[in-house]
Amino acid sequence: MIRALRFAVDHYLVVPFGVAIGLVWANTWSESYFRMSQAGSFAINNIGMAFVLAYLMQEAVEAMLPGGTLHPWRRAMLPIVAAAGGLIGSAVVYQVYVISLADEPVLAVGWPIVCAVDIALSFLVAKSIFRHNPAAVTFVLMLTIATDAAGLWLISRRYPSRDVYPLALTFVIAAIAGAIWLRRAHVRSFWPYLLIAGTVSWWACFWGGVHPALALLPIVPFLQHSARKLDPVADHAHGRHQSGGHFEYVFRYPVQVVMFLFGLLNGGVLVRGFGAGTWAVLTAAVVGRPLGILIAVGLAVLAGLQLPHRLGWRDMVVIAMAASSGFTFALFFSTAVFPVGPTLIQVEMGALATVAGALLAAAAARLLHVGRFATSEAR
Amino acid sequence: MRRTLLVLLVVAAVAHARLHALPPGLPNRPDSLKLAVIGDNGTGEQPEYDIAARMVEAHTTFPFDLVLMLGDNMYGSQQPADFVKKFERPYERLLKDGVRFYATLGNHDRQENRFYAPFNMDGQRYYTYTRKNVRFFVLDSNFLDPPQVAWLESALKAATEDWKICYFHHPLYSDGGRHGSEVDLRVRLEPLFVKYGVNVVLSGHDHIYERLTPQNGIVYFVSGAAGQLRKGNVKRSAMTAASFDQDQSFMLIEIAGPDLFFEAVSRTGATVDSGVIRSGTTP
Repeated sequence: MIRALRFAVDHYLVVPFGVAIGLVWANTWSESYFRMSQAGSFAINNIGMAFVLAYLMQEAVEAMLPGGTLHPWRRAMLPIVAAAGGLIGSAVVYQVYVISLADEPVLAVGWPIVCAVDIALSFLVAKSIFRHNPAAVTFVLMLTIATDAAGLWLISRRYPSRDVYPLALTFVIAAIAGAIWLRRAHVRSFWPYLLIAGTVSWWACFWGGVHPALALLPIVPFLQHSARKLDPVADHAHGRHQSGGHFEYVFRYPVQVVMFLFGLLNGGVLVRGFGAGTWAVLTAAVVGRPLGILIAVGLAVLAGLQLPHRLGWRDMVVIAMAASSGFTFALFFSTAVFPVGPTLIQVEMGALATVAGALLAAAAARLLHVGRFATSEAR
Repeated sequence: MRRTLLVLLVVAAVAHARLHALPPGLPNRPDSLKLAVIGDNGTGEQPEYDIAARMVEAHTTFPFDLVLMLGDNMYGSQQPADFVKKFERPYERLLKDGVRFYATLGNHDRQENRFYAPFNMDGQRYYTYTRKNVRFFVLDSNFLDPPQVAWLESALKAATEDWKICYFHHPLYSDGGRHGSEVDLRVRLEPLFVKYGVNVVLSGHDHIYERLTPQNGIVYFVSGAAGQLRKGNVKRSAMTAASFDQDQSFMLIEIAGPDLFFEAVSRTGATVDSGVIRSGTTP
């Protein structure tokens, strides 16, 4: 069982497996599926996903420590510029599509959905194409993390909550203060951080109108860390990471269970539910984002920044395509922006369809002879 | 003698015309609540004007007080001139006669349209109002967020009228081939409708007319062809009670005590469906 789970985790099959079951279920026994998904969505999307995001945050924080993949920060300059370009490109294409072509103003508020990139899927695609070029893989990682960080900030205030009490957000500061105090008290176990500071932060976000799945993000930087190589798919805990006091180690498999349930609960869309929102999300992700990334990187290079060593423009085209799949994150952003209904189904279908970006990246790599498809001359 | 004959002929012709204009399935009682229903109408094109003309004709003999708009009240551009072309001009006669339109928003409507005074939404996405022994609940099915669901439950719980009619854009049940039933919305809304005794639910979105067989005691109508039309789009199923997808259409409804009479009228003025629903029973 554990071996099967590890295989699924290592090959990023957990979410697609959940999505596939959800799709079949929703299109055969719709009523029972939606009853189940609506009953479970609060627990998974608002509580379970808080642990998933915290898990990813933990990995990103550790990769930025001295010795980590993303250290030093300055290396992230160009990927951050690229991420900004990708965000602008995708948002502009989304809005142009919705307003000019779709005639569905109801979709206009959904533009933050296209500010999502599936970190794990993009990483897998990049790792598969750029087998012998870690600089390209690192660039993709930095780009996707920066994009999602901005995207999470954008959706944070769009949570379709109940009555909102903005003053409640002051308790997030109290939660952070609590985490700092625990850190100063040299508390090494992550449990007090999660159970005390995390719970306060979750309630503060929920009542303050911020998506509660983001609640653990301000707490995670205060957990114990050690530098690591960043591989969100298959880097098994080892060394100092392999300890019961380490959040990443303890939550590695529970997080996968949550991801499976997330795919199951949110991936079941009615196939006939496609519409303008589907095409808007897909077009923005696979056309808008790569274009935005390339334009931004072009401008940055003109302004004096340099492409990383061993990366040329053809590589950059493939990197831009590799960062076009929203998938899990786009599903999550969709549920944060739209409540239950046909509009949500439309954009969720678009989120699922952005997986096509991975195929387009592989096709582009083959066409441009990049990475594993490079000819000896091109190498 | 000849003059008398001529007068008699004219009187007979006028009487025939008025009788012809009177919707046959509606009793047209003086103290009843009379209303019309249109959905997906706001194209500004000829079929919308034709339907509006049929409504004006019907109004001369069946003086309805209000029109329920089931969403997609405006397609395409929604500038001030469009409100004239797509709403004020086609329904000019009815507006002048004091008929009040009560709108819900569809996926083609801008959210700001809820502030347009002739739609009588008072800036609200969802609202309720009452006429005689009927309470209407108007929902925004584009954004069925938790506050709206909570509001609906409390409004339904507080309602004491004999009839509870709910309308919104996306149909919970539909045999329209393009969109069909919105099952995700149904799972959330139908338990409330059943629990609090909603009698009738009206929606648009699919550009057809359809009456469904009662579902859990509730009669559902799809009336989304008062401007748009998706010809031949009804995929009949076991839950289809009646349907019409060959031309544009609208509905006329009369509520008299425990009876709700309904009639669906085509662009040519033909009655394509009619019947009566008795409160607590099925048609």
